[in-house]
Amino acid sequence: MELFKFKSIQTNIAAASACLILLTAILLGVISYQLSASSVRETAQDYTAELIRQVNANIQTYITSMENISVLALSNEDVRELVGEAGSNRTSSEELARSQRISAYFHSIIASRKDIASINVIGYNGSFVSDRGQAELNPSVRLEEQPWYKSAQEASGRIVVSSSHVQHMFKDEYDWVVSLSRELWSKDQTEPRGVLLVDLNFSVINDTLNNIDLSKRGYVFIVDEDGNIVYHPQQQLIYSNLKSEKIDEVLAKGSGSFTTDEGKTSRIYTIQDSGFGWKIVGVSYANELIGNKREMQLSMVAAGIFCLIVGLLLAVLVSRNLSRPIKQLQEHMKKVEKGIFNIRVPIGNPREIASLARTFNLMVVKIEELMSQVVREQEIKRKSELTALQAQINPHFLYNTLDSIIWMAEGKKTDEVVLMTSALARLFRSSISRGQELVSIRTEIEHVANYLTIQKIRYKDKLDFHIDVDPDIYSCRTLKVLLQPLLENAIYHGIKNRIGTGTIQVTGGKRDDYIWFEVSDNGVGMEADTLRSILEPRKSDRESKGVGVVNVHERIQLYFGKEFGLSYKSVPDEGTTVTVRIAAILGDEYAGGVGA
Amino acid sequence: MSEYRRRSASAVLAAILVLIAVVGIYKWAASQRTEKNVDIIVTVKAKSSAIDFWKVLITGVEDAANEFGATVSVIGPPAETQIDVQMKQLEQAIREKPDAIVMAATDYNRLVPVAQRIVKAGIKLITVDSSINSDDALSFIATDNRAAGQKAGEEMAKLLPESDSSKIAIMSYVFGTSSQMEREQGVREWLRSNSRIEVANTFYSEGQLDKAYELTKELLQADSSIKGIVGLNEPSTVGAGKAIQDLGLSGKVKLVGFDSSVDEVKLLEGGVLHATVVQKPYNMGYLSVKTAIEAVRGQKVPKLIDTESVIINKDNMYTEQNQKLLFPFVGE
Repeated sequence: MELFKFKSIQTNIAAASACLILLTAILLGVISYQLSASSVRETAQDYTAELIRQVNANIQTYITSMENISVLALSNEDVRELVGEAGSNRTSSEELARSQRISAYFHSIIASRKDIASINVIGYNGSFVSDRGQAELNPSVRLEEQPWYKSAQEASGRIVVSSSHVQHMFKDEYDWVVSLSRELWSKDQTEPRGVLLVDLNFSVINDTLNNIDLSKRGYVFIVDEDGNIVYHPQQQLIYSNLKSEKIDEVLAKGSGSFTTDEGKTSRIYTIQDSGFGWKIVGVSYANELIGNKREMQLSMVAAGIFCLIVGLLLAVLVSRNLSRPIKQLQEHMKKVEKGIFNIRVPIGNPREIASLARTFNLMVVKIEELMSQVVREQEIKRKSELTALQAQINPHFLYNTLDSIIWMAEGKKTDEVVLMTSALARLFRSSISRGQELVSIRTEIEHVANYLTIQKIRYKDKLDFHIDVDPDIYSCRTLKVLLQPLLENAIYHGIKNRIGTGTIQVTGGKRDDYIWFEVSDNGVGMEADTLRSILEPRKSDRESKGVGVVNVHERIQLYFGKEFGLSYKSVPDEGTTVTVRIAAILGDEYAGGVGA
Repeated sequence: MSEYRRRSASAVLAAILVLIAVVGIYKWAASQRTEKNVDIIVTVKAKSSAIDFWKVLITGVEDAANEFGATVSVIGPPAETQIDVQMKQLEQAIREKPDAIVMAATDYNRLVPVAQRIVKAGIKLITVDSSINSDDALSFIATDNRAAGQKAGEEMAKLLPESDSSKIAIMSYVFGTSSQMEREQGVREWLRSNSRIEVANTFYSEGQLDKAYELTKELLQADSSIKGIVGLNEPSTVGAGKAIQDLGLSGKVKLVGFDSSVDEVKLLEGGVLHATVVQKPYNMGYLSVKTAIEAVRGQKVPKLIDTESVIINKDNMYTEQNQKLLFPFVGE
């Protein structure tokens, strides 16, 4: 996620989802707009095509009825006679009567029709008959020069439909008509005799086309096969070149539709070939087909913005929900950092964060426990050191020893006094030991030897001792005053109560990776109960029996670990053996590592 | 605390976003709507008159209004001479606060104050056919009347022998209208600089056929040296033509006219009227509304649009293009 390099989770999520929503909204909007636009366009084009077809059908109806009228007129015998006669081989009254008959006949054909303006026959022999009876012709008009007349002659018998034009052949009449003209031939089809003209009021077509509602700006126009405009709502603008129609393209194309390439004002031409030369063309503006284009765009944009806002709000909400518990956790961690352990993170909702919080809480509890344990152990350590120190300079022992010395001095046993006093002096000197907790085994054994020497002098024949420690471990380290409480215990509780001489054996050595000592006596031994309870923690400091032993055990365990310590073996009336196990710490190691 | 502040800040931000979006969309929609509806009032010079010219012009106005989506109402005095009525109607029109007014001025000078009030009211002013003696209109859509007058003069010169004895008169309409002044100037200028034909006098028909008829009759009876008459608008031309016809002077006194009507067509066919200068009122009406809409939508519009004129005589009157000019309406 190189793109989203924001600092907080919240911003990250918000930005990502905003992009996602925006993209989706744009994509959906564009696609649905395109789809609906094209469907609307298709519908509009279909509608236009249908409309143009209807217009075409309408116009064809008019043209067909004109054709039918022309056939009716041609089939009339009087008409044939009128144009057939070369000269006046009938009397003029007869001629007049015939003209009146024809006129009446024509009149009856179109009497009920508003769309037909007139039916006229112009004979090449100079005769002229119209449905209007004695209609006065425009004196300034020469019929044979009129376009409809000339084109009928050129077509020799086929029907010709003109473009829309002003018919000015009758005096004071200037009506817009569409002319259908046709040359009349003699019965045997050998020579042309005249021209038949049927005029259609152009207003009927005009009205039809004017009433067409293609679209707001759309319109219909008609061109004839020469490209002349038959009908166009804005004919004058075309003539003045203010507007242009793609008439060439329309003429080139039979039926169908095409779209001009005029950018915003592109037009769609829908063309229908009428079959008699005219082309009916529906024109609509491409951008107008989608009438509600703006509304569609507007609603798309509005929907997009709405989605974006809602999405952003949601994203902000979600990301805040996510980051809030994390922040909470962080604040709690800061407190723990400062050493405040009595706090618990409330377990919130996201499951992952909740489990994180739970683990964190557990961790804090554990740390707290460990901390208090360390404090407690330190306390015990100090206490037991103090106890050890007390044991070392036991006032009773000192008093008894000094008492013994006095007695011996009074009895003039000078050698013994010297021995005992020097042993006492060495004992104390070794125990001063510069305040260090660990001393060399050599020192400890000297201490043991001094202590036992003093006691042996005091108890005379009642006590004997042997010290046999492997000299290899002399340089190793041990806790000071470790063995003295055990010896004390062996003398006071084992040997003292025995009849006869008691022997204390102190041995030591190294096995595997630990150092062991054994203090055994052949005293009274211990009952099983006593043996079991001897290493149990003291119930009270006042309980003198075994105080020293328990203290030694605890000190070893505190210092070296639970796997070390004392173990007692005892058989009543036979003696007790206590085994001490401590870690093997070389002198050098001690100097460099463990520390005070 | 900070949590609360942050939350309220983002809420405010979201609210602002929503507000901006809503306001933006509203503004946009509003701007779309204004583009759709333009209110225009068009005043012609003679509304209830039967003169085809104005009817055709109004057709152009309506077609443009439909095409470009404007609401147009057409007003005008009953006759061209009723200048006060047009001024009053325009005062009323200003009160209706349209976006634009398209004006064909009945008087070159007297409508200037009204025009100034229109502009002051913030309404776009476009003049059509006949302008005013000020610079208040954004655009003027009309036939180049001077050029049209020159064409008429040129046509008259073709009809008359090149000699000092050729004397003509001008049958004008309402004195003081810009279009008549320019046409007359055009006729006189061309004849003065290109021929020796003398322009004897200018008469004013007040746009009435009968008056033109009487004036012409009097003139021709009084002065037989008048060999040609130039009619500067439709009633003036027809009136003069009828007088010539009635005096039996058809073809002897040459007549060149302006505009078109069925009467003029008959005179043309009858050989009384030799040529007529036809304007394009449909284009005028269409372009005036188109220009007005462009002006309202803030586009730049040309100061002057010439809708041109065409000389029509007996020979070319039924060509495809000219018959549409002479007979603008289908089925009446």
